[in-house]
Amino acid sequence: MKIVIVGNGKVGFSLAEQLVREEHDITVVDVREDSLRRASDMLDIMVVRGNGVSAATLREAGADTADILVAATNSDEVNMVCCLTAKNQGTKYTIARIRNPEYTTSLAELRRNLKIDMVINPENATAVEISRLLRFPSAANIETFCRGRVELVGFRLQEEDFLVGRPIHTLSSQIKKLSLLFCAVERDDNVIIPNGSFVPQAGDKLYMVGRPVSLDQFFRVLGRYAPKVHSVFIVGGGKISLYLAQILDKMGMNLKIVEQNEARCRFISEHLPRAMILCGDGTDQELLDSERLTASDAFVALTDRDEDNLIISLYASQKGLSKVVTKSNRQNYNGIARSIGLDSILSPKQITASHILQVVRGMQNSQGSVMNALYRIADGAAEAMEFTVSTSTKHLGVPLKELKLVPGILIAVIVRGQEIIIPEGSSSLQANDNVIIISRGNGILDLNDIYAKAAPAASENGGRA
Amino acid sequence: MNLKLVLRVIGRVLMLEAAALVLPMVVALLYGESAVPFALTICILLAAGLLMSAIPSAPHFYSREGFIAVGLIWLLVSLTGALPFYFSGEFPSFVDCLFESASGFTTTGATILADIESHSRGILFWRAFTHWMGGMGVLVLATAVVPSLGIRSHYLTQAETPGPVFSKLVPKQSQTSKILYSIYCALTLIEVACLRLAGMPLYDSFIHAFSSAGTGGFSNRNASVGAYGSVAIDLIITVFILLFSLNFAVYFLILTKKFKDALCSDELRFFVGVVTLSTLLIAFNISPLYANIWESLRYAVFQVASIISTTGFATADYVLWPHFAQTILILLMFCGACAGSTGGGMKCSRVLILFRSIRREIHRIVHPRSVEVVKLDGKVVEESTLQSITIFVGAYLLVILGATLVVSLDNFSFAVSFSAALTCVSNVGPGLELIGPTGNFLAFSQLSKLILSLCMIIGRLEIFPILILFSRHAWQRV
Repeated sequence: MKIVIVGNGKVGFSLAEQLVREEHDITVVDVREDSLRRASDMLDIMVVRGNGVSAATLREAGADTADILVAATNSDEVNMVCCLTAKNQGTKYTIARIRNPEYTTSLAELRRNLKIDMVINPENATAVEISRLLRFPSAANIETFCRGRVELVGFRLQEEDFLVGRPIHTLSSQIKKLSLLFCAVERDDNVIIPNGSFVPQAGDKLYMVGRPVSLDQFFRVLGRYAPKVHSVFIVGGGKISLYLAQILDKMGMNLKIVEQNEARCRFISEHLPRAMILCGDGTDQELLDSERLTASDAFVALTDRDEDNLIISLYASQKGLSKVVTKSNRQNYNGIARSIGLDSILSPKQITASHILQVVRGMQNSQGSVMNALYRIADGAAEAMEFTVSTSTKHLGVPLKELKLVPGILIAVIVRGQEIIIPEGSSSLQANDNVIIISRGNGILDLNDIYAKAAPAASENGGRA
Repeated sequence: MNLKLVLRVIGRVLMLEAAALVLPMVVALLYGESAVPFALTICILLAAGLLMSAIPSAPHFYSREGFIAVGLIWLLVSLTGALPFYFSGEFPSFVDCLFESASGFTTTGATILADIESHSRGILFWRAFTHWMGGMGVLVLATAVVPSLGIRSHYLTQAETPGPVFSKLVPKQSQTSKILYSIYCALTLIEVACLRLAGMPLYDSFIHAFSSAGTGGFSNRNASVGAYGSVAIDLIITVFILLFSLNFAVYFLILTKKFKDALCSDELRFFVGVVTLSTLLIAFNISPLYANIWESLRYAVFQVASIISTTGFATADYVLWPHFAQTILILLMFCGACAGSTGGGMKCSRVLILFRSIRREIHRIVHPRSVEVVKLDGKVVEESTLQSITIFVGAYLLVILGATLVVSLDNFSFAVSFSAALTCVSNVGPGLELIGPTGNFLAFSQLSKLILSLCMIIGRLEIFPILILFSRHAWQRV
């Protein structure tokens, strides 16, 4: 597809990087020559220098024939005008990044008037993501499918866990009853789709899917069940903090927010009367201790600087907080952060990029089965997708054991009406089912892509517990 | 440096060259000549290519790998392209074969052959076909037809495409290369058809079309295009070599119906202006030699087009013209064709930007605090681009002067030594006096021929991909 990205910042670049890998024709527009040069050196894309609000620049970038335009400059207003101009020139679908909270209240009207097809607010999306993690503190990551009826969680195995060192199929019947599936394992830099004989090791990050209740029970059996979070300590009072605090406040959690800028503190206090706002340096351990950091159930580091976030998160986890969430935009720190025990690391840029990616994939696949959700797990090395099975899907009603799937693909869950099925060899797909697919690498756009070209044979069986 | 990746890419390109050699082999068989020189070369190339492309390596290109690969590929392609000449036994020595092959791939068109018509047709076909491949670029062809050369393979084409700034027509490099080669093939075939209609034999039409498409200059006749003595053929070739010396982006813009953008380029106007002005000046200057002004115009425009496009065809022996006309031709050799074309020289856009920078410098001296940007096509030219253009022009002149010094060891006049160096670096072909349109490079020593071959490749790749090979830093592991 022809995609124009306006604004070659953090989000623009990582989006371009991802879309180039999926063989789309990408044109990037920006005013800064040096950032364009870097992009065109690193990626197989075309670059156009100019301001995204100029009709001539957009035409030069091919907005008149583009399928999608993503406006991701640092100015909301530029993004809006850019989408409007592009739409009038003939772009089929426009996506604008709008982050100013003032606009969020009148978003529906704005979208209608400016003909923007999708609005993405990275800060809000990140806040929603964090709030979900805090609702389920046992997991390092959590993604939801089928409106929350199925969840995918990731957690890191520790030396003393009983799972370590024995094949999955030998697990006790107590676990087997729970109807959940180990669907992916992140070990060092690799992703493994486990089967029954897979032997987990300490340090592996296991991903499993199942009903939220089953997952809860599993963590209880594992002895890792973290109680519900009642109080949260947030460092940094930026946009994400504000959105997050508003969500958590509604959930009835107690909040402490540390922010350095006094004017900003007043502003937050105005919007969040029930939260405790502390004016001070969040990296100052003295302040954290005196405010009884350890008494909180969870800690969230949301300052502007990735390095500060990592360091204070490390401090908090050393102090024994069971749930620590860190914001870090730089992906190259993730490996280091994991090695020092920080697991819940979120990057607004990644979250934004994967939201947009989901739209692009969906559009590309408008004829086939509908992709309802797409999550990238294990640093983007694997993907979890939810599809609705349509009548055009092949091999309906054929038992899975007779199907030959592409290597690295796992059918994790089938949701049929009220039923949630962890598939076995005898299960089969039927029209109107929702299925959750785990894929190592990427490139699955349609449900039919999971079938190998060769004749049907035994399917890959997941690591059933 | 990731030497394995470089070797793997070289392997693929050598296999591509082997595929290209099938064409002259078929021609040789059609005319009942021996196909052995080609078959032998194909075997060698395939063996080396398969061996090299089997090397496993990380697929990531960085600037360094791109430049080194391009430099090495052009040296190796010239070297292996000389093998059919050598195996045919029609050439005096291997150095001569190498000179001819380098002259072919770099679209220079300088030859060491005195009696061209005595050579076999397969060999002459290969000679012209190297022009065609080298014109648009061996690596541009490779990115168009060889799948998955590596990640960020645009570093390869970037180093090979002439001009001060590299830009793509469409987002994907392989797609851009395909579009370029489609336009190139279409124009070449149209020229073949036109020449055939004008009465040129089919074989000659192909040779001359390949030569003018690559703006090379090899002909299969001793008297070059002049041998046909036909106004129509002169005119067709003049038009086509001028077309091939325009930026190919112009054709893409025309195909996508953006006529205004296509025809309003500063470089295009500069090119047309230079061609018109030089033609008129030369026509007046040489008018005493010819019967009427139309005849002198006919020879003047052909020679101007032939030299500025860096083709090097001839319909008249310009060595016999007045010195003013010859000097204009020498200046045109410096200037060369447009960026993004198949021609050589310093490129019109560089010359134009250089003139504008000089004008700005004068303004700065008059008004020391003035701030002014240099523009091309209404867009600001970055200071870093200006700087690299200045450095390029300086390096270009230094290479020519250095080569002149070495060539002068052969004890020819300064005009011969200098024009030999200039014509090779600018990929034109003929020079002055001894090496004029009717002369050849046979008389030079082996050393001069090697240096001049290197000069041609340096000029074709715009200097730096070859110079980097001599840098210690490029080869260090760290």
